[in-house]
Amino acid sequence: MIADEATLARLAALAQQGDKQAYSALLTAAQAWLRRYFARRIVPHQLDDLVQDTLLSIHRKLSSYDPDRAFMPWLAAIARYRWVDQLRTTYKAAEVELDDQVSHDSDEESISARISLEQLFAVLPAAQVRAIELVKIEGRSVSEAAESTGQSESLIKVNIHRGLQRLSALIEKE
Amino acid sequence: MTMPNTSSDLIAGLVQDLQPVRRMRRRNGVTAASAAVITAMACVLLVLGARPDLSAGTPNPLFLLTSGLFAVLAMASTWAVLEMARPYVGNHRDGWIWAATMAALLPASALLTFVIGWMHAETTRLDSDGLNCLSIGIGLGVLMAIALTLWLRRGAPVSPDRAGLLTGIAAGSTGIFAVALACPHDDIAHIGVWHGGAVVISAVIGRLVIPRLIKW
Repeated sequence: MIADEATLARLAALAQQGDKQAYSALLTAAQAWLRRYFARRIVPHQLDDLVQDTLLSIHRKLSSYDPDRAFMPWLAAIARYRWVDQLRTTYKAAEVELDDQVSHDSDEESISARISLEQLFAVLPAAQVRAIELVKIEGRSVSEAAESTGQSESLIKVNIHRGLQRLSALIEKE
Repeated sequence: MTMPNTSSDLIAGLVQDLQPVRRMRRRNGVTAASAAVITAMACVLLVLGARPDLSAGTPNPLFLLTSGLFAVLAMASTWAVLEMARPYVGNHRDGWIWAATMAALLPASALLTFVIGWMHAETTRLDSDGLNCLSIGIGLGVLMAIALTLWLRRGAPVSPDRAGLLTGIAAGSTGIFAVALACPHDDIAHIGVWHGGAVVISAVIGRLVIPRLIKW
């Protein structure tokens, strides 16, 4: 289970001052949260890379965290940015199975709902969401996605492009 | 950098590398942006001198109104950029949109002036020395663009495209606000086209150039 918000904010403030013990606890907690956050929204075999990229970003941009604010919305903004970046830059053609057995800790539900990746998808048109899910998350080819949805291949590409562009602009939106 | 095999290895390495970091404080960004504005204003007043009514202490109301609009736009967009360096899900930074909408009334009014003149078979003349306002305004805006770009590079902007656009708007409106201190023109056509044009061109340049400088 991930530490509570107040603890994470305190650990982050201590880490900014150079406290290595606090930093280790913070990154360990962040890693656990990130694995769960990304679990159903990335091709499974890319999960480790995405989590590690995000941890590196946390390390590089630690000074941008404001201890007067909550920690999780800052972490979520960084995580969303890395996720959209990953969706933009990677392409996997192989079919994969999504793991539906992702658990959620009940005390995290309210904040998770507010900062979840699904929240971002909710504002996109259904056709764009479906195209991104099939090609960028499930790893299907464009032609398979076209066949599955009834959209033309070029429309699938357009929907992916427009959807990712929109996601990028919505990273800090609730 | 070679990615460690596991996240645990990575975490151990990052913890080992940890050094105290200087928190990004908004007041530091405000100070840098203020310095850019003051420098731009000082350049205009020292090199070009203040416009006559300003020197006389009786500024034209239209000058006050239009300069005020550009000043508000500069402040709103600068504030948004300063906040963008410190990401946060739930941030709402839409104030600049209202400021931009108000400032857009200037070129819209200029356009309307041209249309009305055309409908009445009158020619609304556009002065060519407005090119000086346009180019000097864009040039002085570079000071603000540099200050904000450095701030963004230090931070973690998660919307680089929008950050670039807003930096361009902040730079252009700051530059033209400074130029207006010397510009003797008080007609809406000049202000709408040349002064408004400086903001638009700066915004386009910011949107095209700055995202690649601040991506991380």
